[in-house]
Amino acid sequence: MKIKSLKLREAHKGSANASFCSILWDLNAHHLVTASSSEPSISIHDPLLPSNPPRVLRHHRDGVTALALSPNSTCLSSGSIDHSVKLYKFPGGEFETNITRFTLPIRALAFNKSGSMLAAAGDDEGIKLINTIDGSIARVLKGHRGPVTGLAFDPNGEYLASIDSIGTVIYWELQSGRTLYTLKGVAPDTGSDTSILNVLSWSPDGETLAVPGLKNDIVMYDRDTAEKLFTLRGDHTQPICFMSWSPNGKYMATSSLDKQILIWDVNRKQDIDRQKFDDRICCMAWKPIGNALAVIDVMGKYGVWESVVPSSMKSPTEDIPSSRSKNSNGLLFFDEEDEEDQELSMSGSLSDLGEDSHGESEPPSRKRLRKQSVIDDDQHEDVYNELNLCTKTEYRKKVHRINKESSDKERDGSRSMMTFRPKMQEAFQPGSTPPQPGKRNFLCYNMLGSITTIKHDEYSHIEIDFHDTSTGPRVPPMTDYYGFTMASLNENGSVFANPCKGEKNMSTLMYRPFSSWANNSEWYMRFEGEEVKAVALGGTWVAAVTSLNFLRIYTDGGLQKHILSLNGPVVTAAGFKDELAIVTHISDCLPSNEQMLEFRIFNISKGTQPFKGHLPLTPGSYLTWFGFTEEGQLSSYDSKGVLRVFTSQYGGNWLPLFSASKERKSGENYWVVGLNVSKLFCIVCKNPDSFPQVLPKPVLTLLNLSFPLASSDLGEEALENEFMLNNLHLSQIQKRIEVMADEGLDTTPLDDEAFDIEAAQDRCIFRLIASCCNGDKLVRATELVKLLSVEKSVRGAIQLATALKLPILAERFNNILEERLQSKTEVLKTSLPRSKHDRNVKADVAASMALTATERSEISEPTFSSSSAKLSAPLLIKKVKSSDRVKFGKPKTDGDQTACLEDSREVNDAGKNAGPSQVKNLQTQRPSNPFLKLPNNQEEKKVEEVMSESQSQGPSNPFFKSSNKVREATGIQQSHRPSNPFLKSTAK
Amino acid sequence: MAGQSDPHISLFSAEEVEFMAEDELIEIVPNMRMDPLNFICGDFGPFLPQIATQVPMWLAVALKKRGKCAIRPPLWMSVENLTKVLEGERDSQGAFQALPFHYVEISRLLFDHARDDIPDMYMVRSLIEDIRDVRVHKVETSLEKFSGTSAVKIPNLSAMEVNIIRPFVGRALQAFYKHDNPEKIPDVDRASSGQTRVANNEPRRPLRR
Repeated sequence: MKIKSLKLREAHKGSANASFCSILWDLNAHHLVTASSSEPSISIHDPLLPSNPPRVLRHHRDGVTALALSPNSTCLSSGSIDHSVKLYKFPGGEFETNITRFTLPIRALAFNKSGSMLAAAGDDEGIKLINTIDGSIARVLKGHRGPVTGLAFDPNGEYLASIDSIGTVIYWELQSGRTLYTLKGVAPDTGSDTSILNVLSWSPDGETLAVPGLKNDIVMYDRDTAEKLFTLRGDHTQPICFMSWSPNGKYMATSSLDKQILIWDVNRKQDIDRQKFDDRICCMAWKPIGNALAVIDVMGKYGVWESVVPSSMKSPTEDIPSSRSKNSNGLLFFDEEDEEDQELSMSGSLSDLGEDSHGESEPPSRKRLRKQSVIDDDQHEDVYNELNLCTKTEYRKKVHRINKESSDKERDGSRSMMTFRPKMQEAFQPGSTPPQPGKRNFLCYNMLGSITTIKHDEYSHIEIDFHDTSTGPRVPPMTDYYGFTMASLNENGSVFANPCKGEKNMSTLMYRPFSSWANNSEWYMRFEGEEVKAVALGGTWVAAVTSLNFLRIYTDGGLQKHILSLNGPVVTAAGFKDELAIVTHISDCLPSNEQMLEFRIFNISKGTQPFKGHLPLTPGSYLTWFGFTEEGQLSSYDSKGVLRVFTSQYGGNWLPLFSASKERKSGENYWVVGLNVSKLFCIVCKNPDSFPQVLPKPVLTLLNLSFPLASSDLGEEALENEFMLNNLHLSQIQKRIEVMADEGLDTTPLDDEAFDIEAAQDRCIFRLIASCCNGDKLVRATELVKLLSVEKSVRGAIQLATALKLPILAERFNNILEERLQSKTEVLKTSLPRSKHDRNVKADVAASMALTATERSEISEPTFSSSSAKLSAPLLIKKVKSSDRVKFGKPKTDGDQTACLEDSREVNDAGKNAGPSQVKNLQTQRPSNPFLKLPNNQEEKKVEEVMSESQSQGPSNPFFKSSNKVREATGIQQSHRPSNPFLKSTAK
Repeated sequence: MAGQSDPHISLFSAEEVEFMAEDELIEIVPNMRMDPLNFICGDFGPFLPQIATQVPMWLAVALKKRGKCAIRPPLWMSVENLTKVLEGERDSQGAFQALPFHYVEISRLLFDHARDDIPDMYMVRSLIEDIRDVRVHKVETSLEKFSGTSAVKIPNLSAMEVNIIRPFVGRALQAFYKHDNPEKIPDVDRASSGQTRVANNEPRRPLRR
């Protein structure tokens, strides 16, 4: 647990009143150096053991006001009120030399990037640039009117910026030693209080210079033009007295006279954290490694604020910019700049320059001669000074940009060269994260649990945790003497492997079962001249793929069972029960930077290889995760965020089932853990991070799987997606049923599942039909109707088409239904014994016959009704047709009623609704239906009864009125019975 | 003031207010597999390891006590947000920052039972205590200026705070009303207020924990 409230520890006693103190980290964050202007000693602390007494350097005779450490941390320099600047060896602290002396106290020190030059300044008039090697003074920069309190070398080595206590900032050019810009009164005037020193700081990329502003803010100035870029303004209520850029330049810590420290996100210009202190913080330093800030207050108390930047944000030490290479451009550019700068300073701020510019007024003219060929109008420069000032600045800027671009390009070039070189993907374990110093990382993270490791001194500590703590086995943590970097985990055990490190540390494979009846059942395999590249674990086997492209398969007891040769270097491996899947490189990657990968699935227990083929990836991406779904489907995830699932359809193929780019909300990365039929389980990482940390324990997020569908004119992507997913599941289940049936296993649970999916699919199709009808996509609707699996749904669709007043469509649907029933009856008819035609009807066949009769009556009805309508009332054809068809659900029940009285519920329904017209339909259909002769006598009798009833009720002109009544009946039916059983079943 | 430290005068005791707050939903990350639970107040779950789900506070605490889940502190309980709220509270003299109605109780429950799930626990705790103090102080100062009105309107007041000031405000309003219309309210009011006093002063049975 992090403790936010910062305890400060006394480093320097000093006097009771406030005095300026300094604090520094060394390069590796092994030491903290502090000093106070009220005490002559310098302390070197060990930040890991703050209770240990610090190493104290006492060489000054008065308070130490400034500290600086050379960039390689080998040389410490200190400046003091006693007017001397001293150099020490670091971290030893041996005094080396008094490198220079001033006539007044020193206030600021700074090393340049290479450590070859030290700038020192203070209450004296000039800034001294000192060669650190021989202690010679390279230059004295004069221009400040007040004591210089802050110095900063530009990280790119071209400029020095300085600030004095009255708030003037000067940009110096190092090559010539001239002032480029003088910004007067931009920073607060700190007066005579020496405990407050104005400071300034270049961003680590050297593009901006941060200076405390007059409005309790930080003002950013452009590197090349000294234009004000933006300000960081927030909750400081008093002027800022110190600021420090994070090593990557993304954040900035500022401390103010109001005793707070604010942490800023520089890009967003927003403060992200703050801390209040009892005393004013006069110096801060970001830890060069990690996320911490060392602070010291004016009373000489120091502390380290850990986890300054919230873990959700990019670490302050990530992506540290590389400063551009010095002198990558020719001399010409510099000369030009010299010229320009000189012009500028002469024209712009002549008065500020003082003696400095006078002293250097000669060289430019000499340079100009050389330069005339380059810029012609320079001759008139003096005349147009004022006018050209602006364009000059822009020009200068442009020169810099070009120069920067060229160097960038160079760097890019070299980088792209690197990537275009054979950059075949390294082998990886699915669910592992890269090792980070001082932190735990995942060796394996899957749906079951995780294996984490952390390096302590020489050995690592490995912990195995199951997500489900109630059922998973409890595995004690272990010390890892081998340095395992690969692991895999399943219910039964875990397998580990390490790469070989030199001669004596051979690559080792270790298997550790979680529960075994025998003692000491873990086993080791050592590989000489061979290195394990990937491991996988299955039901009863362990697999390791090695650098010799061998696939070695062991039993879980440790028996060496098979050694197979693979085609190419392995990328990754995954296991699930009996199946092992391995991805290998086929060849070098294509010039377009595409990995050429191949996958193979092995069935270990059967010794077969059901599938092999090319592993597809999004162009320009690489494989990041590979594994099996909860149901055992092979799946892969690539760096462009596309998830693919293997299907045996079309002879074995990969279906894209998820695309992060479609799903992604602002700046999230998905780190895949696993998936099941409909959901993807992943860990969401905030953008800069592409993988999760072990702590805090990551939480899985469920995302819906979706095909990358094109946006259709129907506008029902969700339904279409569901439709496709259901189809996929159905095919998967049917395949499994086949497999299980082949093995002679009970398939009922799978059958049930398949049935459920079919029902869901019908519902989905039904809704799609509805939207197709609404969107006037009738052809698509008919296609969909053909896909419905249950007749009831087809009838529902017919009803729907009718309700939506689409008679043509309803008719088409009807034909589809007819065809379907026809084919079904044909199947039935052929299956029925011929003996049916004889009167020897047996009891056991009666039922099936009744059934056929029912169906037959259904089939015959539509044909009949349409023909009858044609005969009688041509005008009403359409209405009759449609209404008749709507009643499809009903006529079936009529048929049931006549054929068999068993289905009581439907009989009741039918009884209610059995209008005379329906009965008449029956009556007329009888002769037209050749099969109706089949039913036995009893049945016929009943039909006759019904007929007689209907005849007694029915009018003499059956057709015309019947159609009318049918309409009425439908109307009633629709209004009275909204909960039509078919509608319910389909549209649920 | 207003018997803030005397729980007997408040309508509800702190425990009772906390009990009411236990119906608030909170996100947990279970570490076990369990079927959905069907309660009168709703269905919760299914519970799958490492997959977050919403449950009422009391269930979260019960599961946490058994080591079956980790509680995810609500979003408003981040140090960033609380710092912002605290500053807002300090800056605006009259208004109250928007915090959940039961923020005191929820944070209290989490501090008691889910200490290890809150990042920067001490910071969060001190921030919430600060916020609470600032708010209570603000309530008290605003009540000092309380004058003859028929109603008091303070938006964004939380359950605990309302509970503290309720008896005082109620009685004060009554008193104001009485003074404004002496003829309208005869002795009945005094009698009834006396009665409620008596009723409220009865010793209260402490809730079982």
